[in-house]
Amino acid sequence: MSKTSNMPPRPSLASLQAHAYWLGLLVLASGLQIFEASMPSLGPWFKLGLANIITLIALASLGPKAACTLAIGRVIIGSFFMGTIFTPTFIISLSATLAAISVMLLAWYLIPRISLIGISLLAALTHMCMQFFVVEHLFIQQSALYYLLPPLLVLSCATGWLNGALAEYITTQLKARNR
Amino acid sequence: MLNHTPNNAATEQAPDKLWQWLKGTWTDRILLLIAIIAIAISWQWLHQHLAGTPLVHIYHGKTLLATYPLHPEHPIHFQAQGDLGISDISIDNEGVSITHSACTTQRCTLSGHRHRIGDILACVPNRILVSIQGQQDIPLDATTE
Repeated sequence: MSKTSNMPPRPSLASLQAHAYWLGLLVLASGLQIFEASMPSLGPWFKLGLANIITLIALASLGPKAACTLAIGRVIIGSFFMGTIFTPTFIISLSATLAAISVMLLAWYLIPRISLIGISLLAALTHMCMQFFVVEHLFIQQSALYYLLPPLLVLSCATGWLNGALAEYITTQLKARNR
Repeated sequence: MLNHTPNNAATEQAPDKLWQWLKGTWTDRILLLIAIIAIAISWQWLHQHLAGTPLVHIYHGKTLLATYPLHPEHPIHFQAQGDLGISDISIDNEGVSITHSACTTQRCTLSGHRHRIGDILACVPNRILVSIQGQQDIPLDATTE
């Protein structure tokens, strides 16, 4: 038997390109998450969600599976570098991200004529609500916590919309350059 | 790569300016409208349930540790025992604040003073919550557990 017959088939160039692209997006998303954590924030509960722009780009360019793995991957890598892995912050962030990505995928498949802006809006609102739900159930255990939710949801609407518009713009520009 | 689109995605002609992207599709705008209406209703509902004399409630998990009026005659310092240690809570003319906490992040101490009904301060690692709630017709100096 020849030596080459035992080797696994070589992946196609398109497959390798997609993997490299996904890895590049993962590094970018993790970097943005770390950058955002080091910026002065508007409050302990609120972030701009810049890393979610990359998740949206992955959703539009590589598909739902890649977006899902990228979102989970960036939370783990980001927490590892920030030293918050397996802390309450990590648990809150991971559960909120899982909820947000689930809603993103449902919206992607089920809501007619939705763009990345609508998907980002729903993800931002879900992320914020899930953060409060996890904090209330696992850590603080006081429903008084929810008093803070409505103003933060208004801010989430604004950031979700802006992030979605940015993701839509970047995706279209990338598609135009790849033609 | 760069060719994934949902079956039902918007296929309108792409605008070339960034600000034009902010408009979104009709579906996006309807979703935004629904979200804003839902938030406004919940905000209004909370405001109706929060009216009254402002009181500061200090909790550790489910346990109410203390209740103080928001505007005491003299400044109050309360030490709340949390999971990690003591959180120092100060109530004075400016409002209520967490001045020191046993947590590593210290985000709670950076939150500053809170003075409106509905405001909260939380130290998640130490599981301490300070909440300003309205309560009607309660002539109260202080209650502690």
